[in-house]
Amino acid sequence: MKIKREDILHLADLSNFSMSDKEIDSLGNDLENIISYISELNELDTDGVEPTYQVFEMENIWRDDEIKEQEATREDLLALTKESEENQIKVPKVL
Amino acid sequence: MKYYPTIGIECHVQLSTKTKLFSEVDNDARGKEPNSCVSPVDYALPGMLPRLNGEAIKFAIRAGRAMNCEINASSRFDRKHYFYPDSPKGYQITQFYHPIIGAGYIELPDGKKIRIEHAHLEGDAGKLTHFSTYSLVDLNRVDTPLIEIVSMPDIHSAKDAHDYCKALWRAMCYAEVTNGDLYNGNMRFDVNVSLAEEGAKELGTRAEVKNLNSFKSVERAVEYEIKRQSKLLDKGERVIQETRGWNDATGETTGQRSKEEAKDYRYMPEPDLPPINLNQEFIDEESKKLPLMPKDYKEKFTGKIADDTLEVLLDYPPLMKKLAEIEDAKRVSNWFASVLLAEEKSAEYLNDLPTAKQLDDLAEMTEKGELSSTGAKEVFLKFFDPEMSKRDTKTIAKELGVIQENDLGELEKIVDEVLADPATKQAQEDFKAGQEKVIGFLVGQVMKVSKGKANPSSAQQILRQKLK
Repeated sequence: MKIKREDILHLADLSNFSMSDKEIDSLGNDLENIISYISELNELDTDGVEPTYQVFEMENIWRDDEIKEQEATREDLLALTKESEENQIKVPKVL
Repeated sequence: MKYYPTIGIECHVQLSTKTKLFSEVDNDARGKEPNSCVSPVDYALPGMLPRLNGEAIKFAIRAGRAMNCEINASSRFDRKHYFYPDSPKGYQITQFYHPIIGAGYIELPDGKKIRIEHAHLEGDAGKLTHFSTYSLVDLNRVDTPLIEIVSMPDIHSAKDAHDYCKALWRAMCYAEVTNGDLYNGNMRFDVNVSLAEEGAKELGTRAEVKNLNSFKSVERAVEYEIKRQSKLLDKGERVIQETRGWNDATGETTGQRSKEEAKDYRYMPEPDLPPINLNQEFIDEESKKLPLMPKDYKEKFTGKIADDTLEVLLDYPPLMKKLAEIEDAKRVSNWFASVLLAEEKSAEYLNDLPTAKQLDDLAEMTEKGELSSTGAKEVFLKFFDPEMSKRDTKTIAKELGVIQENDLGELEKIVDEVLADPATKQAQEDFKAGQEKVIGFLVGQVMKVSKGKANPSSAQQILRQKLK
């Protein structure tokens, strides 16, 4: 499968990555290799096989609906952000 | 040209669980400071894992049953990826492939059934406030549990769109899964509208109006879209598939200049949350907890409460619950209806409802003629006065002096008794000499002798006659 430059840019955009030209070129080759390796799986007949969603065989893991006091305070958490104002996280204008 | 509109509606309902869907943080941020109901999980700090709230599953079962839906024994969570500052994770946890709520329907007042395609559990996003050069993010709402209800394209008019949303709202409120406060966004509607030529087999291109938060705005937005799209089609132009915003002030929708490439959310199974596999017993047990629904109340009260009164009162679920406990629901419902309609009281007015005992007593006293209809109404209004609301009906009635001493002969005897008492002699002379306010003292004596049963205005009338 041929990976085009636009494909990489599109994927980068979807993943919110910024990439240099050099990275884009080398990533194209890497992705092609990975996809051709993985595509060997396409040769298997998987009709009627239940897709694997998770590998731990757990189910119905849930907790009670009770509020727990948090150790991290609002101030602790806001301190992790680049910028805050009036107890809110300040981000570049979006619309 | 006449076109046939087809409307599909997606509705987001915020569930009123105590904690959020994936973190043990207070889910009720009403009136609280920004970012005060937030944990490291909500901030999506590295290594933080979601912990599913079991109560949200139970709420979803009740919500599903309230819409006559199948409950899927097996459901899972998926990640829907997008980048926006309202979601620190970079994805929303939702149920794309295996939703918990399957097909069902909602019945409109005219009996039409609007089919539900499915409904699923997911986390809400944070709240953004935009300023001229920056935006502020409040994460209190992040991962508030939502169910998103997806209708089939069974709606074909603005009015039905309105009625469907209202019926959904009632269903969710009566199921007690949401606070149902539309003003604060507890339920939000995305409406997609398309037009096709009469008789055409295929639907036209649809435009979606997002984030409507009232039944009225749903109705108006659909009306507007039908007009807008009809005009385009009449001119031979095409309707563009796009998301449009609603402006409540102008009553118009406008295209949002977002990139119109097909969205690619790269859905994938959520690896941090194991699947939900419910047995029938669990589902049945929760289903049984579904409270009475609007149609149950209609059955219960048909013939007792007038249809149009009932239709008004059904918008207040706690009130219907209360009326179900009342002996004389007919009389009591009329008091509520008149207060809600004539006095134009808001729903908050009903936050603290009178007790069943207070209402039963009021109905009984009115029935017995101890209160006039005006007097009863006065007492009724005092039930909502924080200073008096905790007192029993008779005490309030006495305090207002509205209990009728219906036997005027009896009252006259009491007046005579008071006037014969030497202790009132001075007062009588003072009154005759023109001291008006002394009448109050004399009325007080009558009240005292009658042990509060006398109607003070009748007592005063009789006193005045006798002292002429």
